[in-house]
Amino acid sequence: MKGSLGTSLVLHFLVLTWALFSLSAPAKFEVGDVEALPVDIVPVESITQIQQGDKKAPMAEKSAPKPTQKPKVVENAENAGDNDVDLKTPPTPVKKPLQTEAAAAPQKTEKPLPNPTTEDNKVKEVAPEETAPKPQEVAALPQPRPEPTPPTPKPEPQPEPKPAEQQAEEIPMPDAVPVPAARPTPDVPKPQEAKPVEKPEPKKTETPKPAEKTPDRKIADKKQETAKSTSSKESDFNADEIAALLNKQEAAGGGAKRSAAPAALGGKHDTGGSKLSQSEIDALRGQIQNNWSVISGIEGAQGVIITVTMKLDETGAIIGRPEVKATGGSDNARRTLESSALRAVLRSSPFKNLPADKYDAWSEVVVNFDPSELL
Amino acid sequence: MEHADLAAAASSVSLLSLFMQAGLIVKLVMIGLIGASVWTWAIVIDKYMSFTKAKRQFDQFEQVFWSGQSLEELYRTLAERQNSGLAAIFVAAMREWKKSFERGARSPIGLQMRIDRAMDVTISRESETYEARLGSLATIGSAGPFIGLFGTVVGIMTSFQAIAGSKSTNLAVVAPGIAEALLATAIGLVAAIPAVMAYNKFMADAGKLGARMEGFADEFSAILSRQIDEKLQPRQAAQ
Repeated sequence: MKGSLGTSLVLHFLVLTWALFSLSAPAKFEVGDVEALPVDIVPVESITQIQQGDKKAPMAEKSAPKPTQKPKVVENAENAGDNDVDLKTPPTPVKKPLQTEAAAAPQKTEKPLPNPTTEDNKVKEVAPEETAPKPQEVAALPQPRPEPTPPTPKPEPQPEPKPAEQQAEEIPMPDAVPVPAARPTPDVPKPQEAKPVEKPEPKKTETPKPAEKTPDRKIADKKQETAKSTSSKESDFNADEIAALLNKQEAAGGGAKRSAAPAALGGKHDTGGSKLSQSEIDALRGQIQNNWSVISGIEGAQGVIITVTMKLDETGAIIGRPEVKATGGSDNARRTLESSALRAVLRSSPFKNLPADKYDAWSEVVVNFDPSELL
Repeated sequence: MEHADLAAAASSVSLLSLFMQAGLIVKLVMIGLIGASVWTWAIVIDKYMSFTKAKRQFDQFEQVFWSGQSLEELYRTLAERQNSGLAAIFVAAMREWKKSFERGARSPIGLQMRIDRAMDVTISRESETYEARLGSLATIGSAGPFIGLFGTVVGIMTSFQAIAGSKSTNLAVVAPGIAEALLATAIGLVAAIPAVMAYNKFMADAGKLGARMEGFADEFSAILSRQIDEKLQPRQAAQ
């Protein structure tokens, strides 16, 4: 036994020493160097609640559509634009760039024209000031203009005033005058008629025509009128016309909602950007319930659901008579509960604690009640 | 610096460092289990050698016994030695036989019974030596895993307490303690598995040897009873 015990001890010693050296450290797991990815937690609201803005503009704290320049005309307009009527078409028609390219040429011819002419300096002063805003109004559109036009018109008008006039005449011709005429939606027939007439005329007499044209086009702004007068003095007729057409195009599309802030990322329309949260709705419901004197013991009151639809002004007061509808239960119970609900709603006006910045959301509210919960 | 740290971290998972990191109870459990393993293998080696030796002796004795050699002669040669197994049974039976005839046996039945007793006692004594220490193999085989598990539970408990103290649940912090604790179970299994296997094998071998001894005893008892009849009948006839 001693011998075998010794043998066993020796064997164990050998095995343990072998294990200590060969099994000392298991191979480490290969862990790839993975760089941590920055993760932003984005609330669902930013996806589901899109604010009106410009799709191509950079992101800003508050989204806003492209800035407009005209004074506010239409109250509660929904679509951004310089229009007088709140149209749903986007403010920039797709086909415009073609026209604006052509339109840019005469505008540049205007500038060289006053220099050679011996007419009053006043005219010159007026012209640059007013022609300047035009490109601003069109904002994105004018960009294509300078690229194609500058090579052809610029060198020619400067040396001689006369060829400049000729070019100006020539340029409007290819513009395809009827094409812009089709776009201004409000006054379709008038510009079509006027334009063909105007083109031959400006060559001979310039001053009378702009005067005639401006009354025809109701859309033209004061800026446009002044621009016309300057250009007419300078004996450049076509530029006027194109400017007018361009302005018409601006007015033709887009809505009447004005925007003063710089364009920032956003959707075309608000999509539930301001929505009452559940707790705000509950608060509103609570105010009504507090004023609800519950009539207990009505037969058939079980299963009655009361829907109150009311319009609120910005102070939270009810406008007009709230509409109360009850469904389910017996006729008698419905009538009783409807009248008690109406009383409660009227008593709780004006509602408090409604978020002022979400007035769109609660200007018209629908609140549902289950009177059985109150009993 | 970083390499050194990594090396230190790697070495902290080696068996020796795992053992050194362990707490006192876990260390004791591990040492006890290693001791049990040593004891198990000592028994295994001892039993293996003694069983093979016993089998060889059985074969040799049977060869000699059935070779037609005179039993008296065989007894005389064997009686001087220290015998085991079949030889011991043969010697015990022959001794009883001799004693009975030297003093003049009266009844053949009594003589037969005495010889059988002597052989039974020798068989039980011999089987006892064969089965000796197999019980400790069984104990190690059944209790080893539990002792290891105990060490693991205690080790994990202490390592969780350490984690609670360090206030970090990083796997690198948690892993060494758990690995160290699991080492106890591993050692327990290492000790227990061979113990169970050896126990089963040696119990079967001991059973076989016992059966062989029983068989030889019956055969030898039959031979002796024939001899008794032959030797006692002339006396009875003479009377």
